[in-house]
Amino acid sequence: MVDFDSSIKVAESEIKEAQRKIAEMTGRIESARTQIEQGAPEAASIDIENATLDDVHAHSEAMNANIAELIMGLDDVTAGFSRDFDALREKTGWESFVGFFSRGKSESMREERIRSASIDDKLQELISKSDVIINILQSQLGVLNDHKDRVDSNLGATLTERETVVGELEQIRAKIMELDPKIIELENRIGMEQDAAERTKLETELAELNQGYNELVQQEQVMLAKSQTLERYIEKGKSWVDSLQNQAATQMVLINKLQTDTKQRVVLYDALTKSLKTAQQQDVAHRINEIGVKTDQEAQAAMAAIGSATNQRMAEMMEKHEDHMVFARKVLEEKAKSDERFARRFAKIVEKHDKNLYGAAGQ
Amino acid sequence: MRDDHQTLKDGDVVRRYFAKFRRIIAHLGAVTKAAPDWPGPMGEAGKQQIELIAVYLRRLAWTFDALSYKYLMAGHLSQHLPDQLDIDKVESGFPVYRELMQMAVDRAQIDRHLDRLPSAEQLRRQIVDHILRERTPPRRLQYAMSQRVYYERLAKGDLFLAQNDPEIIWLGNVKGNYRRRYLVHWGVYDSARNLPMLYLMILEDTGKTALGHDERRWPAVQNHLVAQSISELKLLTIARGFDADFPDIHPKLFRRIQIGPMRSNAFTRQSGLLAEVLAEADAPPGLDWALSWTVESLISKRTETRSTGLFSSVDTEVYDIDHLDPEAVDAGVTALERGLILPHRAYQVLMHREPAGIPGLQTYVVGDDGVVMAA
Repeated sequence: MVDFDSSIKVAESEIKEAQRKIAEMTGRIESARTQIEQGAPEAASIDIENATLDDVHAHSEAMNANIAELIMGLDDVTAGFSRDFDALREKTGWESFVGFFSRGKSESMREERIRSASIDDKLQELISKSDVIINILQSQLGVLNDHKDRVDSNLGATLTERETVVGELEQIRAKIMELDPKIIELENRIGMEQDAAERTKLETELAELNQGYNELVQQEQVMLAKSQTLERYIEKGKSWVDSLQNQAATQMVLINKLQTDTKQRVVLYDALTKSLKTAQQQDVAHRINEIGVKTDQEAQAAMAAIGSATNQRMAEMMEKHEDHMVFARKVLEEKAKSDERFARRFAKIVEKHDKNLYGAAGQ
Repeated sequence: MRDDHQTLKDGDVVRRYFAKFRRIIAHLGAVTKAAPDWPGPMGEAGKQQIELIAVYLRRLAWTFDALSYKYLMAGHLSQHLPDQLDIDKVESGFPVYRELMQMAVDRAQIDRHLDRLPSAEQLRRQIVDHILRERTPPRRLQYAMSQRVYYERLAKGDLFLAQNDPEIIWLGNVKGNYRRRYLVHWGVYDSARNLPMLYLMILEDTGKTALGHDERRWPAVQNHLVAQSISELKLLTIARGFDADFPDIHPKLFRRIQIGPMRSNAFTRQSGLLAEVLAEADAPPGLDWALSWTVESLISKRTETRSTGLFSSVDTEVYDIDHLDPEAVDAGVTALERGLILPHRAYQVLMHREPAGIPGLQTYVVGDDGVVMAA
């Protein structure tokens, strides 16, 4: 397995890169906005092309894949626990060797080992490692939400502005509509007018009306362009917000999966170790408190007998420990849910991970 | 996450929950002051043992204090993040074990967190700025502040941790300086019951080097005792195993004190007599609780010497367990004492239902004026 610390470093640098890209993207959106505000809507060349957005997405996907890998890596770390559990059940090489000469001595050596066994250190390591990952994820989530808020408020202002622009556009169009019949009427009147002086007057009036009309049409064009710019801006902004939201959702899935997993593992491993220790010791101590030293031989024999009996029981317990552990179904359901969400998002990585595992086992 | 675990989401609820604990622990301190010296063959250290219990109670109070800051603002930020406080509502009424373990991990990273967070002064200024400028509650800043106070509290130490390693006190020498006598004490937050457990052991040491200064034996003893501090293991089991694994250490008296469970009408969902009593008392917040504790004691009645070679021998302790007392045999102890503390109103309901009191249960009552009395 890849070293955890170096994987973390890789993930951290990738997150920095992702955050830089996100900041750049939001920066572009914001500068476009400033340009619009400065009244140069045509100058606001909104260079938020789909290519840039795709770039950000590609990177964040790679980054999340990396983190998902890291989370799967924790599974490998926890495989170490099952080795510990096995060690609690089985005799070490030396103990088996001693057992060849004296069964009682070998049992008592194993008992002593079990009595001082503890997995608290390992549990803490597990918690702290998953904590490190969660911290990374949460900082990333914070950044995403931050940017989302910024772009959101920006969009809100732009939307209001666009409404005003559209309103003005409507007004201009209404005025143009009003002018149309007037112009037609004037033209008719000019065609029917016989008096030259009156005719000249009407023609001047028509020229004025036409000029006003042309001005209005020009204004309409300007407003239309402005509204289209704003619309484009809003469209880009919206897809950026969507993208940020989607990325944030992914972070949430990762965090949720990790938190549920860690909570569940701590409870499970701790309960299992303690049950194993208890099963192994309890009967023995009780039987021999009063047997006393005279029957030491018998005591050792009894211990050996109980030892092998409990060993059998422990083996059974190991096999069905999941339903043995009075685990509320809810834990498993929640784990299943978070696993399912995780799997849906990271199907490829899970597949690769599993393939690697089987590949390694096959060698 | 488990059915019996409950997540406290609301900051006010978290605050009420820990405020309740702070009061109860203060009352327990009063109980230790009111308690007589511990009788028994090792009575000479009885006073010391009770003082030690008071020390652990103080640490427990600090731990809950720290946790209350940690989770003060958690519910205000977001539905999912950050993590929120889980308590065991069915059995113990205490925070779940993982919370304490998480705290140990937090404790290992205090410096990093304190370096990253702005100072309390800066935060205060930012909070004022935020309130004046934005006119909204400064949740994020408040959260940062609560985290700062939490880590500062952790840095001060003197906490009850998930695992409090054994400490040793020299009590004197016996049998013409041949044997040293020690009082060893430690505490763990039990993961199966989600309750704090204190352990006290008086032992005699016949090793060449004094146990407290023995770099070879003392770490091994510490490791062994903590690894064996499991509530499912009977005292007898732990004592026998310890006696067997360390031939020159002789455990003479062994006590385990379980603090809890805590019952509260507002927070927990236990069943049984006390839950009914609390429901019937229907007391206002702050007066609707009951906390019980258990003291298990195991005392050595004789020592048997067994030869292990031509010139060497090993002492084995035989513990005093009354075979006619099924409860003692079942628990693997010499004596089993139970205590209960509850406010006056709940006590009146309890007395109404059980005029003779509950057998084998020493009850303490907190009066209207906060004075604790043995009932």
